Amino acid sequence: MAVNEGEQSFRHPLYDLVEGMARMPGLDLAFTTADQVLSWGCEKSLWVFPMATSCCGIEFMAASSSRFDLDRIGTIPRATPRHCDVMIIAGTITVKMAPRVKKLWDQMPEPKWAIAMGSCAISGDFYRDIYSVVPGVDTFMPVDVYVPGCPPNPDHLLEGLRRLQEKIRTKRAGQFVEPDKRPVAGLQAPSIPRLGDPARDPAIDAAQLDSVRQLDPEGALRRHDAPPAPTRPAPRDPGEEG
Amino acid sequence: MAVSAAPAVSSSLATRWTEVGGVRVPVELVTPGWPDPHMDLSTYDPEADLMALNMGPQHPSTHGVLRVKVWLDGETVVKAIPYVGYLHRGVEKLCEKLTYVQITPIVDKNDYVSPMMNELAVNMAFEAALGVEPPPRAQVLRTILAEIQRIASHLISVGTWGLDMGGAIGGGATVFLYCMRERELILDLFEELTGGRFHYNTHTVGGNRHDLPAGWDRKAIEVLDRIVARSEEYERFLVDNPICHQRARGIAVIDPLLAMECGASGPILRGSGVDFDLRRDAPYAAYDQVELRVPVRTEGDALARALVRIDELRESARVAKLLLQGVPEGPICALKPVKLPGAVKLQEGEQVYVGIESPRGELGTWLLANTDRKLGPHPYRLKIRPPSLHALSLLPYLCPGHTLSDVVVIIGSLDPILGEVDR
Repeated sequence: MAVNEGEQSFRHPLYDLVEGMARMPGLDLAFTTADQVLSWGCEKSLWVFPMATSCCGIEFMAASSSRFDLDRIGTIPRATPRHCDVMIIAGTITVKMAPRVKKLWDQMPEPKWAIAMGSCAISGDFYRDIYSVVPGVDTFMPVDVYVPGCPPNPDHLLEGLRRLQEKIRTKRAGQFVEPDKRPVAGLQAPSIPRLGDPARDPAIDAAQLDSVRQLDPEGALRRHDAPPAPTRPAPRDPGEEG
Repeated sequence: MAVSAAPAVSSSLATRWTEVGGVRVPVELVTPGWPDPHMDLSTYDPEADLMALNMGPQHPSTHGVLRVKVWLDGETVVKAIPYVGYLHRGVEKLCEKLTYVQITPIVDKNDYVSPMMNELAVNMAFEAALGVEPPPRAQVLRTILAEIQRIASHLISVGTWGLDMGGAIGGGATVFLYCMRERELILDLFEELTGGRFHYNTHTVGGNRHDLPAGWDRKAIEVLDRIVARSEEYERFLVDNPICHQRARGIAVIDPLLAMECGASGPILRGSGVDFDLRRDAPYAAYDQVELRVPVRTEGDALARALVRIDELRESARVAKLLLQGVPEGPICALKPVKLPGAVKLQEGEQVYVGIESPRGELGTWLLANTDRKLGPHPYRLKIRPPSLHALSLLPYLCPGHTLSDVVVIIGSLDPILGEVDR
């Protein structure tokens, strides 16, 4: 039914959230594809089943509580697999535990995704060769996103969930989803040039040293000092030689 | 480490004391008779409709991957058996292949709520075998780190116990969220000191790796003050909460004799009235420089254990602040910085046992050193004595007679960490 609201335009928040939603001016009707609405719903309310076995489980607890607060991206930890969309495997999975993990994964309703959190879940880490440890959960179940670290910080887990949201969005839109590459050790290098780095603007070095000097005139805080200024050789006096 | 003689400091709560195995125990709690954990169920009332129920290994309130099989008559537990081994990672076997320097980051992951303690225990064993004494600055630094780590560990313990007990309805989630907030402050301190948020690898043979950054002590004192001020609030949340009283008071009263027989230590033993703390009775690191007041409660129930933990948290903050005000100058490691993993060599056949007081009790390390031509210096056998395993062995005695919902409270009050139980 058409309602003419005159000059007032009807703006539902859904219009901002779903791309490609067409609306008709003056009508409370909108057109979109069912896929887009479904993917919008899926990605914004990822309920999480924490398969928390060890250290990463504590870090998952930290991520879901006060400071990092996973709830604000619609991610609520639930204790039963029947309620959940995402399984986060946080911690070492042993041979004794693996059948239980698989069983819980099979109990989760479709659509479902899995995140391997931490190097134990990804590859077994240094327990890899131990007789009782499974070398990575992807040996017995599918994994969508790998979050490396031992354990990964909560902000890394948040980034992993964002990557999963992106994946859900593009997959529903029918685009090609590039498979997540296994993280390789040594790829992460510090990108911020430090004090004295030739790649850094010398003006920043000078400002930093200056601020340290102002902060602490006695020099107790200072670890590095300014590199000695290049001394030029004094210009020769030709008169002396002659 | 032998149980020491009756300590000088005693709790004002107990009135009459008796001696059991050289340890003072309140008379009121020495009562004979406790449930039989090996009960033959065929002798149970044949009319009863017994139901076997598995809790875990995936259960939000079993603190990891503990599985408890309980037999229920109605809602009352008749028999309970804990099954462990779902997180067995073969750490002790792995350590036999590694040199002494490489072991520290591995044992970090054992008790994953207090990694500093694992490092300290293992490195103290190496030092004892090597005959190295860490310099005074490292000793004080280790004590400070251990006490701050104890606060973080007890915060998690009390917080998750609140979650087990009440969840969102009983007000437990509030305690949990507040405790985690305070824990983040401590993790920030550790991150600034060692660069790691969770696993630190800061202790080494002969001392520490990371020196205190400038201004760290001031920040630490600020954080400790804040936590102590807020710990009053947690105690009020627990003690002034009628739900907490109904669920935890008089639940799982542990007999001190039973606790000692099972090898329990730490807050469990002190919650049952046994005044025993390795930090005071067999001082290591810099604990001989401070006078430690050990909190003891005689009730022996789940609430008493939680209150002991909160009292210990305050005491740890006091000790850490005291030591932070006078950190001696000097080197932080007695040995040269390690360049090769095989640099630290122990004499072959050297045997040593060292026990320290971790937040859960006595964390022991037994070491038999070896030198192999191919592998280099490595332990022939490294045995870790986890306090949680002994705490868990109390579970079959405690559960019978309680309802199923109490089992959750009991497990939470024992505070087992499955990483160190299974190793």
